[in-house]
Order: sequence, then structure tokens, then C-alpha cells
Amino acid sequence: MNRSARRRLTAAVVTAVAVTAGATACSSGGSSSAKGADSKTYTIWDPYPQFDKTSDWAKLLDGCGTEAGVKIERTAFDTSDLTNKALLAAQQGNSADVLIVDNPVVSTLAEAGVLTTTDDNKLDTSKVNPNLLAAGQSGGKTYGTPIGANTLALYYNKAVLKKAGVDVASVKDWKSLTAALAKVKEAGKKGITFSAIGTEEGSFQFLPWFWGSGAKLTALDSDQAVSALSLWKNWLGKGYAPNSVINNTQTTSWQEFASGDYAFAENGTWQLANAEKAGFQYGVIPVPAASGGDAAAPTGGEFVTVPVQKDSGRYATTQKLVSCLTNSQNLLETDTTLSYVAPTTEVQQKQVAANPKLKPWVAAVQAAKGRTSDDLGTKYPKISEQMWKAVQSALSGSASPKDALGSAQSAVK
Amino acid sequence: MTHAPTIPKRRNAAWVKTSLGVLLTAVMLFPVYWMLNVSFTRDQDMRKSPPDLFPTHGTFEGYRAVLDEQLPYLGTSLVIGLGTVVLTVALAAPAGYALAKLRPRGGGVLGFLLLVAQMVPGIIMAMGFYAIYLQLGLLQSVPGLIVADSTLAVPFAVLIFTAFMSGIPGELIQAAQMDGARALRTFWSIVLPMSRNSVVTVSLFAFLWSWSDFVFASTLANGGAHEPITLGIYHYIGNNNQQWNAIMATAVVASLPATVILVLAQRYVAAGVTAGAVKD
Amino acid sequence: MTHTTQSPERRLVPDRNGAATAAPPLARTRPRRRPRPRSQLGVPPGEAWGRAAWAFLAPVTLYLALFYAYPLYRNLDLSLRDYTVRSFVQGDAPFTGLANYRTVFDDPTFAPALVHTVVFTVVCLFFQYALGLALAVFFNQNFRLSATLRALFLVPWLLPLIVSASTWSWMLNSDSGIVNSTLHSLGIAPVNWLTSPSWSLTSVIIANIWIGVPFNLVVLYSGLQSIPESLYEAASLDGASAWRRFWSITFPLLRPVSAITLLLGLVYTLKVFDIIWIMTKGGPADSSTTFATWSYQLGFGNLLPAFGPGAAVGNLLVAAALVFGLIYLKVQRKQALS
Repeated sequence: MNRSARRRLTAAVVTAVAVTAGATACSSGGSSSAKGADSKTYTIWDPYPQFDKTSDWAKLLDGCGTEAGVKIERTAFDTSDLTNKALLAAQQGNSADVLIVDNPVVSTLAEAGVLTTTDDNKLDTSKVNPNLLAAGQSGGKTYGTPIGANTLALYYNKAVLKKAGVDVASVKDWKSLTAALAKVKEAGKKGITFSAIGTEEGSFQFLPWFWGSGAKLTALDSDQAVSALSLWKNWLGKGYAPNSVINNTQTTSWQEFASGDYAFAENGTWQLANAEKAGFQYGVIPVPAASGGDAAAPTGGEFVTVPVQKDSGRYATTQKLVSCLTNSQNLLETDTTLSYVAPTTEVQQKQVAANPKLKPWVAAVQAAKGRTSDDLGTKYPKISEQMWKAVQSALSGSASPKDALGSAQSAVK
Repeated sequence: MTHAPTIPKRRNAAWVKTSLGVLLTAVMLFPVYWMLNVSFTRDQDMRKSPPDLFPTHGTFEGYRAVLDEQLPYLGTSLVIGLGTVVLTVALAAPAGYALAKLRPRGGGVLGFLLLVAQMVPGIIMAMGFYAIYLQLGLLQSVPGLIVADSTLAVPFAVLIFTAFMSGIPGELIQAAQMDGARALRTFWSIVLPMSRNSVVTVSLFAFLWSWSDFVFASTLANGGAHEPITLGIYHYIGNNNQQWNAIMATAVVASLPATVILVLAQRYVAAGVTAGAVKD
Repeated sequence: MTHTTQSPERRLVPDRNGAATAAPPLARTRPRRRPRPRSQLGVPPGEAWGRAAWAFLAPVTLYLALFYAYPLYRNLDLSLRDYTVRSFVQGDAPFTGLANYRTVFDDPTFAPALVHTVVFTVVCLFFQYALGLALAVFFNQNFRLSATLRALFLVPWLLPLIVSASTWSWMLNSDSGIVNSTLHSLGIAPVNWLTSPSWSLTSVIIANIWIGVPFNLVVLYSGLQSIPESLYEAASLDGASAWRRFWSITFPLLRPVSAITLLLGLVYTLKVFDIIWIMTKGGPADSSTTFATWSYQLGFGNLLPAFGPGAAVGNLLVAAALVFGLIYLKVQRKQALS
């Protein structure tokens, strides 16, 4: 059915509804639609529901609005909800003026034709680190600019390692890491926790090991890939990692680490603030690659994008809003609140100057790799889904790592 | 009522029953207790192994956050819940009466459609409502959410009313078989009072469903001036991190007033049934 | 209430001890005691009558048409077209007939999902109903605190599912869950409730039974309230045991309410996805995937939604509910005629 026919049906339903609803609706309430909003009101959707109306983030948005001479209407969504809400709103011609989304979603929304390119919206992305910007690029076009970045590394508990007699400097590759875990277990403590849940989070956490083995996302069944999954499987089998990782979100995994029993935890930049509160001494090392060196970790973090509007006159103001949100001063503030690393070298240096503990994280972010990079774009979601399924199958014991990844690869095709 | 022959034995049996009832309720509510326990737990003890049965190192952090931020939403939830109850009963009771007692041609098909209607996944319903409300400007409005929440309960209510009202003896209805006006009067003065049990049942569930609804609230009311309490949970689900003690605390705070309403309602129901008998 | 309408009720239900009989006796299902001519069943013919009936039905019919027709149509439309994210937004997806259904049937997930759906539904339905009925009979005895305790049974329904399901997954956690630590203190080896393919379905079934019991309890309890006390008194005088009284009075008289409870329970159980989704995401390795979670997984559980196949799976569920609805109608008609 074409669009106009759909419209007709909707219109018919709507007229009918209007008759009855008129009776129940004493006040029809404020409209949240961009279409309904006047030229002085701009809508912003973000995935930060933890920030309420009185937060610095909300004030920053209002401030940028005032600067651009418009009123801001902000709505915060749960991040897993936002993709669908954005698609639904675009379908109904009700997209927000500014949309802040998780970076791997950008290629999906771009594919859907929801987002404008930087050619159209005139955003300046010249200062952004290229490896971070890559997550927002597909088909040679750029669809937004990162507001901040994060990635994964290994947190470790100094007391636990000391008790087990492990020198963290000895952990250089998978072999030495496994040896350290064995010592920790002997000392009566728990080895490592991570998240292998059957969602994008699980893939996100598996990727440093996957890439660290030398495997590529285009070949899930390579020997290197099997070796990465076997590493995890082996840890579970030997009791170095708890069985609960199969169902752990990154928050759950962090809570396990925070109990103080675990030597290592794979987790993200955003846990820094919680690590300070944990009540024990901790350190951070990059995820090691299979045979030494640092593994590439995936980039996390959100992009500021500008959805397509019917009224192209709105872009000029939107561009002002986004530039305000992503200017150096505001990036510094936002990324400090979010516990993220800034996307530009200039601000990263300021962050390290203010907080030296961020140094390893800045290095990790600079070495990190976008999940949708390598022009995978919308192929990535399919690959990722098969990857987390394979991880789940192997860890739960319903298939060997080789078979699990083999069927994953054939399912991608 | 028990039918024990002697009085002391009966009293004994009653005590056994009460203790058994308390025990069963305790088993049933153990997960709720666990939620309460987590709501008081410090971050570092959340995944302690083995877990603490009581929040020995309790923290009120979760509650402090919730009480500071969430209380205004309770009123909205209450209005929406009561609105849903009224709308549901008003729509469903006459329909149940017609399907059970008047049995018009095509009534079976309607009952059938009601069944199908309940199978539409909530998220698809929400997407449909979004499209409709966007055109009507009903997004983020309380009446809009009441109508949406009532779709959770109306098909259920019609089927329940039909099942219960079909038990009302035909003799009572026959006296009023003449015309529509009489049918209405019969409905109002005989059928409805006799269906008190089903009205209460339907009202309970309509209220419960709208109180705990999350899908419609997040699709239709997010960001508005009037958000129900379930959306309060969003404040603690960050993009990378979830604050579980505050999430659980929100659930506790959200369920406390409603629990009081439930208990009071149940007492009223029990009283109402007996009072009805006396009045008759 | 007027006296004329009231007197037949009095005659119908001789009330020996003045106990609560405000609720109607479920007359139709009691042909043994009081056979009546069918003309009294309240099925009067006539056009004016039909019009009056439809006047009562009009609000709900309008309501159905307004609020369900579009989503239902939309779900059907989604399943018959080749929707990509782009065509979802642009609204120009090509019509592909049953291609999505074929994709779904050919998917390796189809067979396990079907088996899990059947097992999940049957087991949940059985236990929810049996436990609900047992509790309803128990609470119907009106002992001290019974009303309050019964009300407390409903508390789980006040919690948003995201909270109750998360609590269950908390308690069933392999390493730090209370269930395993209790088993441990009893000397039983821990069970990987949520992370082992052989236990995950059991775990979500347990949680879902827990959620479903209060519903069955409340509806069946109201049904019990509608059974006149006098019948029990009579049976008691005849010397029938409590067990016999249940099978010869309670159970048969509860049949219409039982039927609708089971039917609604079936519809709700088929539809359950939140609990499973939050607890296991249908995993590990599809071991707790049902049609409902599969539909959600396809349509919304991925960065790149596959709306078409997702809706197709959803519609298979609608079709399943249709079949059971037809069975219900048929049984009901037979009952009404007998």
C-alpha cells in the first residue's frame, strides 16, 4: 500500500476517533509533535533518562536553545527504545530536530533515510578523531558527530591480585591473563566477569577478544574467531569466570566486580565514577590481544544527528544548536558528566589535565574501532546478532565454539 | 464456612487456616520481599555471593532519590487508573449484558473479535495509538493514556461480564422483555446490582493493568507534563548503567498506595456482599 | 429493586441461614436440580429486541473498530510486505504476499519456538488454574484475615513487569541468587536456572505461573462467591465429604467461569513476552524462545528491525488464539443447548 492510501485509512480512523475522543478529552494537552510545534520550538530526543529537568544536561540544552533564540522541548528515552521511537516518528513525519543516538544505530537510521548528511546540515566534523567519526559514516557520507566516546578495558582489583600474588604488569597476552586467573582462583577468589548476554551488549563485550584474536567481522567462523570464543568458554569451564556471565548485562557484571571478590572485570569508561565509590583500590589495563599488545576495543557512545524535516528552513537553527552542544567547552562538561572521553583531541587533553586517571581511557578510545566501520554499515546488526547467539550457544554448552560460529556465519549470508 | 461439628474444634481450624493463609501469602510475596531487600541494598552488595537475606548494610539512597523526584507522578497514576476503571466498566458492562442475555444475531462474532483483539501485541497497539494520537494532538495527555490503557482491560471485561451475567437466571430478565427502555431499566436495576462481583473483579484488573502499564506510557506519555509513576523508573535506567536500588525503590513506592487501595477495596467487597444480602 | 423482580430470586435460592446470596446462582449449568423449559433461557426473538441488544453493544463495537482495527490491520500489513527500515519510514514496501510467512516457517528457530510455546502455555495454564482454584476455594472459607491476605496476593500485579521479572532473574542468578544459595545450604548442587539450555524454560515457566496465579485466584474467587451457600448446606446434610462437595457442586457450577478464565489465561500466556525477554532474552541458544519472544526479537530486539517476519510470527499467534476461540464458542454453544 502506498503512503497516501495509508494516510486515508489513518484519516478515516482519526475522524472517527475524534468524535468520541472529543467527549473524553477535556484538554487535548500540549502537542509534542515537531510539526505542531511552531518555528520557535525545537525538539531534542536523547537516550539519557537519568538526567532529569534540573540536571546540568537539561540546563545545557536550554542554554543552547536560548543562544539560538528558540525554546527547547526535550524527551529522554531508554536507549533500547530510541531506535524504534525514532523510526516510528519518522514514519509519521514527526522526527525530532536533534536526535542523539547510540553510534551503531546511526547507520540503520541513515539507511532508513531518517538522517541528513553533514553536506545538508553543515555540521563541522573536522576536529573529530577519524576513528570515532567512522561509526557515523556510510557510503562515503557522514551522518552526525559524536558527543562523546567510551570503550572497554579491564578493571582490576589490586587487593585481590596482591593476595593471589599476581603482578598486573605480567598480564600481556591471553596466556598470561589465563595464568593470572588460575592463580586468583587458587587463592580462593574469583577470576573475571564480563557480559555475554544475548543482546548487542554481549557482542560489544566480545568484540575486543574477537578483534584481539585477529578475526574479522566478515568471517565469523575463522580459526581466530574460534580461538577467541574458546578462550571465554575455557574460562567458564575452569571456573575462572562465573556461569552468570551468560545472562549478565554490563551493569550486573559491574555489580559482581563491585562485590570485591573478582580480580578482573571487562567494563566501560562510564564505570569510572562507580569505581571510585567501590571502596577498594582498582586499576585499568587495556584488553590484551591474543599474542601480546592491545586489542582494538569497540567504540561506544552517542552521536548527535539531525533528522530530515519537511521544512528545510529549520536546519539553520538546528545547526546552531548542535554546534553549541558540541563546542569544546560544552563537550568537556557533557563528557565529564557522562564519564565519557571527548571525541576531539583538544578536549581529550583538557580532560586528562583535569583527571589523570582518564589517561589510559583516552589512549584506549584513540585505538578503538567503530562497530559499523569498515563500511559494514547495516550489515553489522545482522552479524552482531549471530555473533551474540554463537557466544551464548558456546558458553551455555549447547554447541562447541567451532560449530556455533560456523552456523553463525552461514546464517549471516 | 466450615462445617465442623463442635465449636472449639471450629475455632482451632480457623486458626490453622489463618496461619496457613499467612504462610501461603508469605511464599507468594517472597519475590516482592526480595525487591524490597534490593531496594535497600548498597551497590557493592548487590551481587554478593551468598546474598544477604536482610539489608544489613541498608541504604536509603534509592528512596532518597525516589522521594525527591517521584511523588508527583503518583497522583497522575491514580487519576489514570480510576479513569481506566470507569471507562472500562461503562463500555463493557452493557456489552456483557447484551452478549449474555439479549444474544443478538452477530453477538458471537463480536465476542470472537474481542478475543482476537487481545492478541494484538502491546507494542503494535502502542504504535497504532501513536499514529492516531499524533493526528489528534492527544500525545502526552491524561485522557489519551486512559483510553489507551483501557484497551488492556475492555476485551477482558466484556468476556468476564458475559460469563458472569449468563449465570443470572432467565426469569429475572423475562419480566422486562418488551422493549429497549425496559431492557435498560432491567440492566440498571437488576443486572448491574447482581453483578457486583464481576464489576469488582473487572475494576480491580483494569486498575492494576493501568497502574503497571509501561508500554503505552513510554510511547504515548514520555516527556509530557503528566507522566505516570512507571515512567519514573526511566530515571534510573541510564544509557549504560542501571541504578537498581532506585529502580526497586520506585516500584516499592509505586505499589504502596495501590496496595492500601487493594486491601481496603477487598474489605469493602467482603462487606458489600454481606450487606447486599441483608438488604435483599 | 422492586419486589416483583425479586421474588423469583427468593424462590430460586431458598436461603436457609441468611448467608450471602446476593450473587446469582449459575442456573444454566444446573439442569440436574432444576430442569427448566428452554424458553426461559432468555433468547427472545424479534427485531426490536435485536435492536435493543445492539444498542447495548454499540459503544464497545465502536470502540473495537476505532482502537483495534488499525493496529490489527497494521500488523497484518506489516506481515504481507517486504519491510526494510527504509520502506518502513517511507511507507512504500512492496507487497510480497506470504513470503514473510515462508521465511518464518523455514527458519531453524521455528520448530523449537513452536515446541516451547506449546509447553510453556500448557504447563503455565495448568498450574495457574490449579493453584488459583485451590487458593480460591481456600480463601472462600472466610477465616480471619482472609480478605486482607487475598488482597495481598494481588500485589505482584502492581509491579511493572520489568521490575518483577528482573527480581526473578535476580533470585535465580547462578552465582549470587538466593535460590541457589538456599539450595547450597540444603546441600543441593546449584542449578544454572537462566544460563543452562535445559533449565531456562523451566525458570521462565515458574516465574510466569507466579505472575498468573493471582489472576486465576481473583476471577475464580468471584465465581465461587456466586455459588449459593444453600447448596453446600444441603449437600452437607446429605453427608457429602468436602472432597465430594467440591467435585459435585463447586467444580460443575464454576464451569462457565472456569472456561473463560482458561481461555483468557491461554490468550495471555500465548502473548507473554516481557517476562521471558527480561529474564533470558529467549536464550541461551533459543532454549526459552516462544513465538511471542521470537516475534519481538525479530521486530524490536535488534539494531536493524525485521518488521515483516516479526509481524508474521505475531499473526501466527493471533491465528492460534482464533482456533481456541472457535473451540470455546462451540463448547459454549453445546453447553447452552444441553
